[in-house]
Amino acid sequence: MLALVSRFLEVKRRSQVDVLLAILSLFGLYGLITVGIAVIFAATRVVNLAQGDLVMVGAYTAAVVTGPAFGWRAVLALVATAPLLLLVERLLLRRPLADGLATMLVTWGVGMALRQVVELLFTSTSRAVEPPIAGTVTVLTTPYPAYRLACGLIALAVIGLVLLVAYRTDWGLTLRAVADNATMAALLGTDPRRVRTVAFVLGGLLAVLAGALYSPVLAVNPTMGFSLLVPVFFGLLFSRPGALGTAAGAALLIAALSVLLRVWMSDVLAEVLFYLIVIGVAALRSRPWIRRFSSWLSRIFVPARAS
Amino acid sequence: MAQPHFRPRTGILTVAALLVLTGCGGSAISGGQDDRSGSLKIGVIVPLTGPVSATGTALRRGFELGVKKVNDNGGVNGTKVEYVVVDDAGNPATSTQLARRLIQQDKVSIIFGTITGDTAEAVARVADDAKVPFGTAILGDTERCFPYQWGFGETTRQMLTPTIPELIKKYGKKVAIVGSDYNYPRFYAGVAKDLVKQSGGAIVAEEYSPLGQADWQPVITRLKDAKPDVALSMVVGADAVTFSQQASQFGLLTPGLGFEGAPLDTDYYPALSALVDGRTHTVRWTDRLDDAESRTFVADYRAAHDFDAPIPEVAGNAYFGIQFLLAAARKADGLEGPAINTEIGRLTFDSPLGKGTRFESANHRLQADMLEVTIKPGGAYEVSKKLGRIPDTTPKTGCA
Repeated sequence: MLALVSRFLEVKRRSQVDVLLAILSLFGLYGLITVGIAVIFAATRVVNLAQGDLVMVGAYTAAVVTGPAFGWRAVLALVATAPLLLLVERLLLRRPLADGLATMLVTWGVGMALRQVVELLFTSTSRAVEPPIAGTVTVLTTPYPAYRLACGLIALAVIGLVLLVAYRTDWGLTLRAVADNATMAALLGTDPRRVRTVAFVLGGLLAVLAGALYSPVLAVNPTMGFSLLVPVFFGLLFSRPGALGTAAGAALLIAALSVLLRVWMSDVLAEVLFYLIVIGVAALRSRPWIRRFSSWLSRIFVPARAS
Repeated sequence: MAQPHFRPRTGILTVAALLVLTGCGGSAISGGQDDRSGSLKIGVIVPLTGPVSATGTALRRGFELGVKKVNDNGGVNGTKVEYVVVDDAGNPATSTQLARRLIQQDKVSIIFGTITGDTAEAVARVADDAKVPFGTAILGDTERCFPYQWGFGETTRQMLTPTIPELIKKYGKKVAIVGSDYNYPRFYAGVAKDLVKQSGGAIVAEEYSPLGQADWQPVITRLKDAKPDVALSMVVGADAVTFSQQASQFGLLTPGLGFEGAPLDTDYYPALSALVDGRTHTVRWTDRLDDAESRTFVADYRAAHDFDAPIPEVAGNAYFGIQFLLAAARKADGLEGPAINTEIGRLTFDSPLGKGTRFESANHRLQADMLEVTIKPGGAYEVSKKLGRIPDTTPKTGCA
């Protein structure tokens, strides 16, 4: 009897660890892309619709460049994409910035162009990338694929680093200032155009990194970024512009909700419920009394201070 | 500096809703030849862009080589066969419009192509209304049968009837089924369940996941918990690669597990080679068939398209399928759809797909031979057993 109870507890603990690791892994993917899109949104107030396609660019670099070690391929993806992002921001986004919708459509066009170029160069056949770390590791008695764990931890570290930059450096302060009130930031000597350029490149590179990092667990094809956009947009929707911590938090909640629902029920039912919940929450958040309540709550937990 | 007049939250919500509700629609393009009267004209509807464009391209290539062969041998009733290729991007609404255009403007006598079941059904409805024969080459079953639709790809029963007893004998009786969440994988599972029961096996897990799934861990965990001996996978598209990779990383897909289904198709070999090498797969045609016609087709295909990967089965089905349809057109009196359609139903045709292949009137599916292939490193789908004719006479409503 004792052995049975002990076995039951062991299985339960193992499945709990399994769920936590699944959330970590999915959060790594969603978190990198969401924080990236939130950085761009903070500085430009534009939803980058090419964010998913930048994930695809990172994954393709890891898939088609076969010579160097995997880590160098990820670095190459970042180095090669940075000038492209710079060009896109300078040549295509700067002028239509007065109209948010026009700029958003420009980013949609950029994404479409990226998909078509990749399809022309490499066809639409899916590719796979060999994980650089094979085998499994045991985490609290739960065996787990080693590379998947590494992926989650690296992504977590990068997200932490970005938040550190945003909240503990001068550049982070200027980014938040531009996000809060670009006109005021400009009057105080900050060049919002430069902040926007850096933010667009940084935000895009986070998506490229996500693509390269997660390429060994995904099918690499021209449309792979499309399915990632929906959870990422919900993450952005639930965050506050300029508050990157809330974007990371929203990505974590969305990853956790997705994993937990799929653990408790079939994938098909879980997806329906997932969308019902996130759309319901989005609709509720827009109600004035909820906004007022959350504003009071934030004042209770974060008392006003003179600074 | 003025802030843009844009409501960001509304924008994000709109975009998110649009992405949930819509996919990328493909545009239609056309190509082809001049509109000469008197010659037989075929309309080819294939996805040349979008997620299934690789399969669509393979079908188009097989079709074009098939028509070239017929034209090199004198065409149909002394005139060269013409064709018009259009791109439906895998979108059923586009397929419907293109089918109408091909029939009304281009005056085609036969329609050929489509890859996904929904586009096939969309075209079949239009073809049926206009009484124009429509041939498909993709494997699997469509939801329903139409009097003017004819399927050259193998049916689910033709694939699974020889496969399931062998898998159960070799690996064990506990069978798990996993599929993408749409109609066909559920139909496939229904057929599989019948055959597993007949073979003395048991279904221990059945899982479906929406298309575009990036994280298969919860599904794989449930499948692993069921401890299956055999896994039948009808996870399709890019998800076939994602699922198989993650199943391997989580220790589900091991050499000790019997594995059959879509991920073993040649389309996925470039991505999944290490996971499928050494496994057996049931097919209708492989580029390693050793008859003269298949060898010529394979050589022409590789030379014309500088292609060295395994040639997708759909290309072979299209190559021999269009020759079948044109042989029927040759027998028909004139270029009228109903006459050609009648001959398609009557014709028996010899090809590498089998001697005396013909359509079953109860379901409009080709009754042809099947092969067991063993997947060798490098993508050689070598014939390991000729399974002969695997009949599927299961009646479907709507054929008559």
